[in-house]
Amino acid sequence: MTARERRTRILQLLQLIPILSVLVILFGGALVMALLQSLGFAPWFGINTFPDFSYFGSLWGSQTFWVSLWLTLYYATVSTLLALVFGTMLALALIKAFPGKWLYKYLYKLPLMIPYTVGIALAVIMLSSGGVLSRIVAFAGLIDDPGQFPQILKTHYGWGIIAVYVWKQTPFITLAVYAVLLGIGRETEEAAAILGARRGAIFFRVTLPQILPGIVSSTLICFAFNVGAFEAPFILGGGFPDTLPVVAWRYFNDADYTLQLQGMATVVSIGIVAGVILFAYLWVYRRYERRMGRH
Amino acid sequence: MKPNVSIFSLVAACAATSVWAADPDDAAFRDAFLSGNADWAAVEARAAEEGGVNIYYWGGNDLLNIWMDRVVAPAMAEMGVTLNPVRITGTKDAVDLVLAEKHSGKGIGQGSVDMIWINGENFATLKRQDALFGSFAQSLPNSVNLEWDESDPRAMLNVRDFGVPNDSAEVPWSGEQYVCAVNSARVADEDVPSTFAELKSYLEANPGKFTYVKPPHYLGNTFVQEAIYAHNPDGTGATPFQQSVDDIAPEELARLIAPGIEYLQSIEPNLLDAAGGSPRYPEDNKALDGLFLNGEIDFSCKFGLYAVAKGLEIGTYPEGAKQFVFPENTMIKNKNYLVIPGNAPNSAAALVLANWMASVDSQVSKLESVGMPSGIDGWKLSAEDAERIVNASPGLIGVTQADLDANAAPDTNATLVDVIEATWLEVIERDSTASIEEVVATAYANLGK
Amino acid sequence: MAGGNDTLSTRLSPFQKIYLLLVAGFIVGPFLPVIIQSLAFRWAWPELLPGTWWLEQRGKSMLPLAWDYVLSPYSRVWEATVNTVFIGLVVTAICLAICLPVARLLARESFAGKSAFEFFLTLPLIVPEAAIGIALLMIFIRLGLAGSYAGIIIAHLIPTIPYMVRMLTAVYQGLGRDFEEQAMILGARPLQILWRVTLPMLLPGVVAGALFTFLVSTNIFLLTFFLGQGQVITLPTLLFSKISGGNLDTTAAGITLIVTLPGIILLIISERFIKEEAFGKGFGS
Repeated sequence: MTARERRTRILQLLQLIPILSVLVILFGGALVMALLQSLGFAPWFGINTFPDFSYFGSLWGSQTFWVSLWLTLYYATVSTLLALVFGTMLALALIKAFPGKWLYKYLYKLPLMIPYTVGIALAVIMLSSGGVLSRIVAFAGLIDDPGQFPQILKTHYGWGIIAVYVWKQTPFITLAVYAVLLGIGRETEEAAAILGARRGAIFFRVTLPQILPGIVSSTLICFAFNVGAFEAPFILGGGFPDTLPVVAWRYFNDADYTLQLQGMATVVSIGIVAGVILFAYLWVYRRYERRMGRH
Repeated sequence: MKPNVSIFSLVAACAATSVWAADPDDAAFRDAFLSGNADWAAVEARAAEEGGVNIYYWGGNDLLNIWMDRVVAPAMAEMGVTLNPVRITGTKDAVDLVLAEKHSGKGIGQGSVDMIWINGENFATLKRQDALFGSFAQSLPNSVNLEWDESDPRAMLNVRDFGVPNDSAEVPWSGEQYVCAVNSARVADEDVPSTFAELKSYLEANPGKFTYVKPPHYLGNTFVQEAIYAHNPDGTGATPFQQSVDDIAPEELARLIAPGIEYLQSIEPNLLDAAGGSPRYPEDNKALDGLFLNGEIDFSCKFGLYAVAKGLEIGTYPEGAKQFVFPENTMIKNKNYLVIPGNAPNSAAALVLANWMASVDSQVSKLESVGMPSGIDGWKLSAEDAERIVNASPGLIGVTQADLDANAAPDTNATLVDVIEATWLEVIERDSTASIEEVVATAYANLGK
Repeated sequence: MAGGNDTLSTRLSPFQKIYLLLVAGFIVGPFLPVIIQSLAFRWAWPELLPGTWWLEQRGKSMLPLAWDYVLSPYSRVWEATVNTVFIGLVVTAICLAICLPVARLLARESFAGKSAFEFFLTLPLIVPEAAIGIALLMIFIRLGLAGSYAGIIIAHLIPTIPYMVRMLTAVYQGLGRDFEEQAMILGARPLQILWRVTLPMLLPGVVAGALFTFLVSTNIFLLTFFLGQGQVITLPTLLFSKISGGNLDTTAAGITLIVTLPGIILLIISERFIKEEAFGKGFGS
């Protein structure tokens, strides 16, 4: 290596430093701290029993943890799947020409641009027992008391939470798929059509494999977000047992400060669960890619 | 990895210094003031020097938010102090901040919170953690507006906060009572309950038309306490619940609260949305108001002597709303306070603010525009001032002051509130199969650690 | 695109027409009752329209009601807007400054550990935000960063960096290095190349990346809420504190609309100045 090359190499490394310091110190540091605390390292509360697996033990030993985990995964999975189906269908419609398309392309992206809290506000006014849907049903003469309206929010079925996630994430997935669709052009689809393939076959055999990378990466992001989201299950959820991020927050906010370590164990559990699922997902996808002859 | 190690040792270093550190100048001022060696003019001068004061308070009441900005800020500005009102979603957030700062070595004069609107367990926590500025309330010039003579039973609410002696480390701000409101457009007068038994039969006839705020929110805790008082097996009401947790054995407490808790269990199947599986307890004041406005519930219980009058004025209450006496003899009455944390960075300005808040003028204006009852004591005022306070009241609707006084009961000791709250969460929310006695014993053990 | 062969229909099927209408209704429909609620004085079940409107009561109360409150300084809406925009701008600037060189490296050079580095870069997107938020809070309290602008800005970098790097890398890849080399052959100095050649060619991609970062930052709730400690309010946290009980009153409805407004502006800007494909890079593969 010449001196000049070495200089460029060092220069390159220097350029990486700002990002590395944010990600390693803050992101990595936060994760390491969380792990250490969940294992009993918290000298500032006068606790240092590192390594101590009792926090994980008591967390994983309680039945409600598993209910919370189930709820977290259930809301995250159902809403990701619904958003995927709705978003792909929307993207397939959007590549066609129709009057008013320019306006529609503004409109469908609106949820992307505004915070989840707005989506929650919309869910509250539409779906609560005293809300707009309930009033419309009452106007139609089907109920005469708000208590008769089937409860949508604040139940463990989580329809309110799912509605907010789907509302916000359908455009996200649409955009990812749409960008890919625009990029690939339609020659292969047309070729398949000329060769006599039916619509369904064209979609599953020709279009889907092409948009798959876009689908995988966008659903990955949505799912991870849904697992870690706090505000929607906090406001619209069914109460105890809560989803894991809300459980962690409640531990963290408890009058009993030592419960913060239990909260950290919850936080680490969220990370582990999300990690395992996402890696399994990626692994399956990679295998599929290899089978298809891509790498 | 190297960066991690450095953060790590930094954290460890901070953690090591958990003694109350101090800024010498602030510490000297505090000692001088608390020992009575600082005259008020000097305090005011120092406050103007500090130039600012922040107050952390629950920001969920629009009327209070307006009043803070519109009335308190200009009044402080006149004394050379800029008010910084910090709206928080829960009082505990401010308490946590003070304690976190204390634990990380920020001592006298070095914290970031000057004043908190507080009462109950939150005050008890600050006291237990030794994070208070000190006994300042009786040294304020406007403390003449409050009764401090403990031989007068009416002084109780000034010197004890939820039964815990407050050592004048906080100054009373408002006096409240837990009152229920009914939507008279939906319920006939003769059906309005006045006892827990009547409420239960009303719910059996009209399932789903009532709920209370979910503990550990204080509005929910208070409803639970009233139920416990009313079902006290000895018939002694609130009396045994004035003791601290150290003076009452867990078995005895369990015996005393069991009938009340069992009553709450028994009405669960007829509470809001219980028909759909599990009953719904609203999370806060606003959620409760929303349910009441939409007629999802027929009765709404909360602290708010003038809540109906104000709610009608701003449209958050249904037109037929009025108050009623419930439950007879156990309508909890208490006060809320302003506390100065031990590490307040602007302690002189905080004292000036506390003193202003205890003035007749500010109490009249708060009563008029926010509907928050007066926290100072009418009998200590001149006849003229007492009259002003009475005239400023937005008015009771459906009940009289005499009704309320006749049915008043004291709050539960703050240390017991934690146990009762834990019991409710375990037995009612989590449907624990353990007996109440076991749950109470566990709560004692957990809180003691 | 529209001029394609007609064997595979380029027009919408009837089902797709209905579907588009339903989606549009689902996305923007709920805003209508929010607008009505924001103009109401009292709107109780089962009324389809408010029984009493705000304007009818406006003169009768000493207190600012509905929009009078929302638009007054008492509501803190203005403060939250300024904070949101300020934090978003600073985050975008810092993010751009530290991501540009990295994106250039990733697009053009190969170095040991590159794929590991790329993987590490995407991690913040797939580690749940709640986990990072609570863990960071513990660190920030001890460093004195909790409740400060600096703390929030630093925290916002974590979820924005991965998007920014992805979008900028794609831009550099599309650019190739021929232009710079030609300029160099023609005798331009490195700074001149950067200023005259590289930046103008990069600009559309950089604008897209910056807008996207700004968008992500202004939408972040959880990190701001946990780390802001109620002392730094932004539009998402302001709205959260109004609706956390699960009830949308008149002023909460007004604030909901205000919180939506910057999104609409961003939408118009991004739609006019950025091609869908460039924007899609932030989301897609």
